Parts: sequence; structure tokens; C-alpha cells
Amino acid sequence: MVLKYLIQKEFLQIRRNAFLPRLIVMFPIIIMCVMPWVMSMEVKNIVAIVVDNDHSTLSRQLTGAIESSNYFVFGGQKGSYKEALANVETGKADLVLVIPAHYGRDVALHRPTQVLVAANAVNGTKGSMGAAYMSQIVTAKTNPSLEAMQHGAETLLLYNKHQNYKLYMIPALFALVMMLMTGFLPTLNIVGEKETGTIEQINVTPVSKWTFILSKLIPYWLIALFVITACLLLAWGVYGLTPAGPVWLIYVLAMLLALFFSSFGLVVSNYSSNMQQAIFVMWFFIVCIMLLSGLFTPVRSMPDWAYLTTYVNPMHYFIDAIRTVYVRGGNFASVRSQLWPLLAIGSLMAVWAVKSYKKNG
Amino acid sequence: MNAIEVSHISRQYGKVKALSDVSFSVSKGEVFGLIGPDGAGKTTLFRILATLLLADKGKARVDGYDVVEQMRDVRRRVGYMPGRFSLYQDLTVQENLEFFATLFGTTIDEGYDSIKAIYSQIEKFRHRRAGALSGGMKQKLALSCALIHSPSVLLLDEPTTGVDPVSRKELWDMLGLLKERQITVVASTPYLNEVCRCERVAFLDHGEVRGIGSPEAILKQFSHIFNPPAIEHAHAPKAEQENIIEVNHLVKAFGNFHAVDDISFSVKRGEIFGFLGANGAGKTTAMHMLTGLSQPTSGKGRVAGYDIKTEYEQIKRHIGYMSQRFSLYEDLTVSENIHLFAGIYGMDKKAIKAKTDEMLKRLDFEAHRDDLVASLPLGWKQKLAFSVSIIHEPGVVFLDEPTGGVDPATRRQFWELIYEAAALGITVFVTTHYMDEAEYCDRISIMVDGKISALGTPDELKSRFNQPDMDHVFTHLARQTTRSSD
Amino acid sequence: MKQFALFVIKEARHIVRDKRTMLILFGMPTVMMLLFGFAISTDVKNVRTLIVATQPDRQMQQAADRLSASTYFTMVGTAASSSEAERLIRSGRADMAIVYHRNPTSPQGRFLFMTDGADPNMAQQWATYAQQVMAGRQTAGVSTKMLYNPQMKSAYNFVPAIMGMLLMLVCAMMTSVSIVREKERGTMEVLLVSPVRPLVVVIAKAVPYLVLAFAILIIILLMARHVLGVPIAGSLFWIVAVSIVYILLALSLGLLISCVAKTQLVALLASAMLLLMPVVMLSGMLFPVESMPRVLQWIAAVIPPRYYIDAMRKLMIMGAGIADIAREAGILVGMTILFLIAALAKFNSRLD
Repeated sequence: MVLKYLIQKEFLQIRRNAFLPRLIVMFPIIIMCVMPWVMSMEVKNIVAIVVDNDHSTLSRQLTGAIESSNYFVFGGQKGSYKEALANVETGKADLVLVIPAHYGRDVALHRPTQVLVAANAVNGTKGSMGAAYMSQIVTAKTNPSLEAMQHGAETLLLYNKHQNYKLYMIPALFALVMMLMTGFLPTLNIVGEKETGTIEQINVTPVSKWTFILSKLIPYWLIALFVITACLLLAWGVYGLTPAGPVWLIYVLAMLLALFFSSFGLVVSNYSSNMQQAIFVMWFFIVCIMLLSGLFTPVRSMPDWAYLTTYVNPMHYFIDAIRTVYVRGGNFASVRSQLWPLLAIGSLMAVWAVKSYKKNG
Repeated sequence: MNAIEVSHISRQYGKVKALSDVSFSVSKGEVFGLIGPDGAGKTTLFRILATLLLADKGKARVDGYDVVEQMRDVRRRVGYMPGRFSLYQDLTVQENLEFFATLFGTTIDEGYDSIKAIYSQIEKFRHRRAGALSGGMKQKLALSCALIHSPSVLLLDEPTTGVDPVSRKELWDMLGLLKERQITVVASTPYLNEVCRCERVAFLDHGEVRGIGSPEAILKQFSHIFNPPAIEHAHAPKAEQENIIEVNHLVKAFGNFHAVDDISFSVKRGEIFGFLGANGAGKTTAMHMLTGLSQPTSGKGRVAGYDIKTEYEQIKRHIGYMSQRFSLYEDLTVSENIHLFAGIYGMDKKAIKAKTDEMLKRLDFEAHRDDLVASLPLGWKQKLAFSVSIIHEPGVVFLDEPTGGVDPATRRQFWELIYEAAALGITVFVTTHYMDEAEYCDRISIMVDGKISALGTPDELKSRFNQPDMDHVFTHLARQTTRSSD
Repeated sequence: MKQFALFVIKEARHIVRDKRTMLILFGMPTVMMLLFGFAISTDVKNVRTLIVATQPDRQMQQAADRLSASTYFTMVGTAASSSEAERLIRSGRADMAIVYHRNPTSPQGRFLFMTDGADPNMAQQWATYAQQVMAGRQTAGVSTKMLYNPQMKSAYNFVPAIMGMLLMLVCAMMTSVSIVREKERGTMEVLLVSPVRPLVVVIAKAVPYLVLAFAILIIILLMARHVLGVPIAGSLFWIVAVSIVYILLALSLGLLISCVAKTQLVALLASAMLLLMPVVMLSGMLFPVESMPRVLQWIAAVIPPRYYIDAMRKLMIMGAGIADIAREAGILVGMTILFLIAALAKFNSRLD
């Protein structure tokens, strides 16, 4: 009952603010409309230059294979390796294939010979993928065993038949928007009341700690509910993507994530003495949680010590689970091992939020 | 040449007329008072003179310079202390002072004489952060910061709000000294004895100048506003009532500093208890312990039958509290604030509605039901805050300087509300720096240096210390102080 | 001049007094460098692989041995059928399953690589890697040279990006609060009425943060060099010079936000939340700008960190000279001036 009045107050305050309602509505929309295009890590447009010192049939075949490949944008031929390298240095090309003299003859005679693939690896993904594709093209042309292997092999990409990178990144964006919205807003809430002095008035009323903290959390859960709905609708409306698994499961996951981040925001807010401090501390944790969660980079590529942190990283559980549901079409059973830890970490944080709120200093 | 020349100034905020056609002049070296009820437009006028706001119509010159065209020249010559002067909370007392001194191109040593009377009282805490000072001490520091340089014109917007009577006298003595140095002072104040120390005053009401003249003449002309008839002191609690507040040897220590140092007293149900003391004597700290906002270091206390150390959550059900800082939500409307606090105390919808209507009616606020609290004048906010703090008809209500900065007429209305509450059996525990208000209390205590140095009815105290009124009693006791901080 | 110095001291005191913020300020670059340096990578590693084999087979066994011997793959067992494998991949317990079909007409069987295509990029790479590993060491016909980054460490890519992100956000966040806080607390009124010029107020606010940001830059460079072992190939002078321009740009942007925002809440959300997205997403830090649609490339063109990160990559990693980054440096200088002018124009010397 008391809770109702307190929640009403929180909403009124949000509504009265000239900035917050716009932020809450516009932020998810802009992020969902813009970011999927940004996050497409489809490594396309790798500009490849060929330095052909051989001019044989094979070298022309190779050049032709590069020109017709989907991976590469053919950047033309250059007279010398040095000239080609200058192009890489100025960013005009990403990769150089150097075919040595007499290459075609040597291959035919099974003499040891090598082409050189020089890739600009400053962008790691682009460099290594470019080099890998290039060597695949080259070896397929020259190495019968691998060619045989490739002929005998078939790759089946499950769940994402059209190799749509957006499909992979959309759940990550849900996570990102949810995290920022339900993390930063509550962080500024209690510390803001401390700065204006109204918290003192609340502290002399018989409102219990639980009621007070809940009244701060529930509005952000409702905002989270709005945000996730908006995100799902936008993904469907703009990109034609719909969850492969049950929608209710996505809502459950989103609410659990909101539970964690809003509670965490309040914990930070409780301990902070001013808004600047609060936002800095929160920002630090959000960036760490985000980077170590597997949102952008695979967690299994991390070294063991870093991998261990994912066991307490709620974002990691969330992103794993939501990809399972949204992309792979998993059901409750497939995400059970993520749901429980997420619930546990979230509840723990909520309890901490209540405990750290001091009515009687 | 006149130091200040204001001709036909008008200023509007949206539909609200803050100033309309205001004209007056102040001669060099004059101490000029701006008086009037809350929302009369005093602050707007100060801001226009300080070049912070542009007037819609009219011209103003300060020290011979136009406030719009020659903004830089004016700013070089003006000292200004806004009503809500704020210090840098994380800088120490001395650092604050040093900063403002340098800001105005002077040093603490050079300006020391102009602030000595006030600053010497807080000087011993110069290494403490401003945020850790008590409310009144912050005000003193702010004053010191505003006075450190010697401008040609000094604009002071309610400089003494929250400052205890003794320090206020000292401040005005100091302002008198400035006259000798040909410094013009324009100040606003809600205290009548301060009004009397101006040479001339302008009475502003609803953005219009109603009269300019000597303080005596103006006060007489508008006596219905400035000297409302004293409230009938008919209220007297029955002697057989039980104690609702009992305090025994209460101590609050911060490190080895005893902010509240072994105080004992009791308050009877239905009593109006005045809790007086100089700035930094420990009033707010004591009140925080009684309201369950902080834990006592040692000693015992019971409020409404509950122990303040262990049962503070129960206490909160039976008390109301109105803090020094105005603490309703400024971004909610009047009725939303009432709803919120009524809801917090568990009233049901019907009761809240009835209560809201009744309260707005009593306060004559019906037209402002949906106004944002932020847009109300201070005195109105305070009346509203008080009404909200007793919405649940608590046993005791704690009021921490509820009338600071409020004009006399509104203060009188405020005390009528207090009497109404007391008549309902609500015990009122109030701190104030207005000594006329002290006379309204059934009993008062005066705190000095964390201890209670006098306790009794106003008449008892006056006769015990052989003084004509409470003002003198207070000054007599407060002069014994050896420290000034909590 | 004395006033200016005092202003700077005052601002510095605000910063130093807030211990927790200080801790974060210096902790952030350290932790981020360690994370990016040692924790985060996009390399193919520990891909959880299942074998689906109906009957034991020599060729399959050889393939499995080769796979488990490589660091790219971790064998997580066998599945009885493709559908079981699919179920395991679906619930996130494996990344790839290799199904072997015997070919009755030839000794050479057929492999089916079932990969978790959620991330199509990685899925493709896994399959490519697996084929190469299973085919044995037969790619000797290609010698691969990773230019500028011989060890293929992600750190080479991330160090300039971290610099771009941290300097931008720290500076913008710190300064964005500084003016609006004085507005909110009321001290601005007094500052305005004082004889001090607004320019002095604004510049003095920026100076301590400049020093602070410089300290952060030094921490990043030292850690990059000595902890992550990233060689600083270019001239240190130009690295520092360009960085200072960039810091000034970030400070001006923060001041602009501060002059426009009415409350701390707005200033902080704008600088911490709204700014974070374009800086991380559009700067080319995590996602290459070239692969974005054209419209977004235009938007990315006005994101300052983009130019800074580009310039730093060229200067630090490739060892390019100042002439090669003249364009980036020029754009950064131009943007700095633009933001600073905007901030000063927006700085209101009156209250409304």
C-alpha cells in the first residue's frame, strides 16, 4: 500500500524531468535502429593486392580466384612488394599476395615453393580472417589433399542459415540497452535524493528499508519491461527478426538482468556521496562486466583466470541464455543452467541494496 | 551621485509578474533595506542589480554603470551574496574564504578586518570542510566570503537566515562600519530588528514598491503586515500529563568532539517546547538522535514511549519531522506531496482525499493544488511542509528552524498552525532563531556548547537572569560560549 | 593570473578530495589495459567440439586426434546422433559437431561440420580451422606474414582504442559535471558576479583535468610498453602531441555538455551513457568502420575518437610519421576549436 504511493512518486519524478522520459523512449529506439548495422562484423571488403612475379597460368588462375571471391575486393596488381606495402600503409589495401617467379612451374614439378600472404593485422579479426581465406584459396588451388578434403566436407551452419550477423548481435544489443538503462538511472537516484536532502524526510518516516528499496527498483523493472518490449518489436519491425524460442523466456531473462543491474545501481548509489562519484564507479563496473561477458568477444578465448570471472558475471549468463533462446531456439530446459545463477546473483544484489541503505546512521 | 538608480524596472516569469515598474535610488554609503513578504520580487531585483538577470523593461545603474550595457564594470564593483549562497562543500573553511578572496582580487589578510566579527567565530574550524559545518555556521562562512572584499556596492539577499541572534547583531554592527568606508549596502531581511538598522527601506509587495522611507515610518505604515498582533498565548498543557520525550545524559561524540554533551530534559505531552541555541551548539545533532536519524554515543532517551537507541523504527511511526532544509519533493505538486506522505503513513484513499481537501482549505491553498512545490514562495512551502509533517497526527512533531527566512506575517500564520496542532494534543519540539517565537513556547531550553544551560518557561528565564526579554536572555547565555560548532 | 592559478588549485582540490573517484580514475586505465591485454581476444581457442560417429573409424579417429592436439579445439565427447549433437549445441554445451559419413564407394568418407552458426563469423572460422587441422600440416605452400603485428596479439589493436575511449569519456564525464554542479549548488551565481571573466572560469576548469588525463595517458603508454609489450614504433613526441590535442577536444566537449545541461543528472547521463555508445560502437574500436553502411560511415566521420584511434594505430603500431596522419591531426585540431567555441558561446554569463 505504502509501496504504491512511493512508486507513484518515482514515476511522477521521472515524468516531470524534461530529459528522462525522452531518454527512456528514444535510447532503445536509436540503439536498435542504428547499432545492428554497426555491429555487423561480417568481414567484407578486404582489399587484396596481388604482386604477380610469375605471370603463369596458375598465377593468373589465382588472381582470377581472388577477383571472383566474395571475401575480397580486388585492389589491382602492383609491380613490386614495396609498392604494394605502401598501399597497405596508407590504408588503401589490407592484404598483399606475392606470387614468386616460376611459381606455376615449381608447383607443377612439385618443387618447394611458397606464395607470401602479407596482411595488415592491426585489426586482428580482419587480418587473421583475410589471411585464412587467402591461404584457403591458394592451397585449394595447389594442394590436392585439402582440395579433396574440402570436396568431401560440408559445413552446416545451424540456426543462422543466412549467416546474418545481425541475428547474432541483436540479443547482445538487448543486453546492452537493458544494462545501460537499468544500471545508470538508479545509480543516480538515491544519491540524488541525498544531494537534495529529501532522503532525510523519508528516513524519519516509518517506511521500511525493503519498501523503500523496492519502490526504487520497481519503476526500473517496469522501464525494463518497456525497453525489452520495444527492442523485440523493433527487431521484428526493422530487421524482420523474431525469437526462435519462447518469448516469455526472453522476458524472464530480461527481468532477471534488470533485477541485477537496478539493484547494483542502488548499491552504488547508497555508498556514494555525490552523483559524479556514483556514475564513475558504476561506469567502471559496467564496462568491466560488458567486456568480460562475451557480448563482443568469445569467452572461451579468454585465459583461465579471466574465464573464472564469468562465473559471477550475470551478463555472461544472460547473453548465453538469450542467444540460446533467441537465436538457437532453446527452451526452458536449455537455459536452466543460466537462469538459476542469474536469479541468485540478482537476488543477492537486491538484498545488498537493502542492507546498504542506512536509515539510522 | 547615487550608488544605485533603478527606474521603471519590470520583469515577468511566464505569466507571473515578479517586478512591475519598480523605481528607487540609493545614495552612496547608505544602508538600504529591501523588505516584503515572500515572493514580493526581492530576489529578482537583486539579480537584476547583480547583472544576473535582464529586466523586461526599465533601466538600472549601479555605481554609475548600466547593468546591461556595462555588465563588466558593474561586476567589478559589486559584491553579491545570493539568498541560497552555496559554498564548496569539499573545500575547507579557509580554502573557501581564500578562493573567494582571490576571486575578488584580494587576500584574507587584507580583508580580514571586514569579516573579523563573523569569521573569528569559525576561524578555529578553518581546516574543517565546509560540508561538515552546521547550517548556521555555513551561513556565517558564506557571509565572510561575500564580505571579504570591499566593493562599492554590496548586495545581500537575506544574509542572516539561520544565523543566531548574537551573531546577527555582530553582523549588522559590521555593516554599520562599512558606511564609514562609503560602501553602499542593499540588504533584505525578514527580521524586524534588522530592518530597523537600515537607514531607509523600500517595501516591496507583489512586485511593486508600496513605500520608501525610514524603517520606523514604513513599519508603522504597514504595521498590519510587519507587526501582526501577537498570538494569544492561551495554550497551556495540563500539568498532570505524562512525559512524551525523556532524555537522560545523552551524548553524541564525533571522535573526541562532543557535539551533544550530556543533556537531560523532558517534554510533556501537548507542550510546545522551544529548543534554542547558538549556531553549532548541537541542536540539530540532538534532534537527529531523537528522531532516529542517528545513534547516540551514550545516554538514554525515550520518545513517545520508545527507546531511541533500539526502537527507533517504532518512534518514526509516532513522530513528524520537518528538517532545516526544505524537504518536500520540489518536482512534485502540492497535492502529490500530500498524497505521498499520507500514503507513507498508511492512510487509505478516502482519508487522504478528505485530509488533502481539508488541509488545502485551511492553508488557503486550493488554487495551488496542482502547482509544483518548486514554484511556491518559501513561507508557503514551510507552511505546507509543516502541515504534511503532522498529516498522520503524530504524538510529537520536530521542527528544525521551520521559519528561517520567512516574513513576519507568514511566520505568524505558521505559529497559528503550531497552536492548532498543539490544541489537538500534538507535542511540538521546535528550534528557532527568532526570539519573539521563543516567547510563544510553553517552555524553552537554551543550549550552549552541547550542554543545556537554561531550561524553563520564558517568564521564569527572564526573571532568573534578570533580563527584559528573551533576546537578552539568549545573548546573555550565548556570550558564555567557548566554541561554536557541532 | 593569480586568480587563474587559484581557480586551478580549487578545481584540483575538488578532484583530490574525492578519493573514490580518484581511485576509479587511475584504476580504470590499469584494469582496462590488463583486461584487453590479457583477458579479451577474438582468437579461435577452445572450441568445444563433438564427434558424431556411428561406428569407430580410422579416418575419423585420426581427425579427432589431430583436433584435440591443437589448441584451437577441445573435444567434449561424442554424440550418438546428429540430432543429439544439435540438441547439445542448442543448449550451449558445444560449439561444433563433426559428423562422419562413410562412403561405401571410396575409402575417403565425408565430413559434415555442424557449427553453431549464431555467430556466423566464428562458425566459418571454426570450420576452416578444423579442415586445415584435419588435413594435417599441408598448408606449407603459403607463408603468412602479419604486418605490423607479428604475434597477432589483440593488444596491438586495442591499445589505441582504449586510449581513444578512456581519454574521451574520462575527460568528458569529469568536465561535464563541473560547471553544471556549480549551477545546481548556487556557487555559479557568485562566480558570475565576480570580476572574473567566463573564459577564465572555463579554462581553469579544464586545466586540472588536462593534467589528470595526461597522467592517464602516461599510465596507458607505460603499461602498453612494459606490461603488454606493445612496441611504440613511432615518435613519442608526436604520440603525446596528438594525444594532448585529443584530450583538449574531449575537455571541450565536456564543457559544452556542461554549459548546455541544466542538471547534473542530465550532464552525467549524457556523458556517461549517451556518449559511451558512439565512442565504443562507431569509432572503429570494436567494429571496423569500413564494413558499416555508408550512412553510418558518415556519422562515424564526426566521431572524434575515430580519428584519434586511427592516428594512434598508425603512429604507435605502424610507426608512421606525422605526415601520414596529418589529415587526422588536422581534423582533431579543427574539432577541438569548434567544440571550444561552441562551449564558450553556450556559456551563459547571466542566469537565464
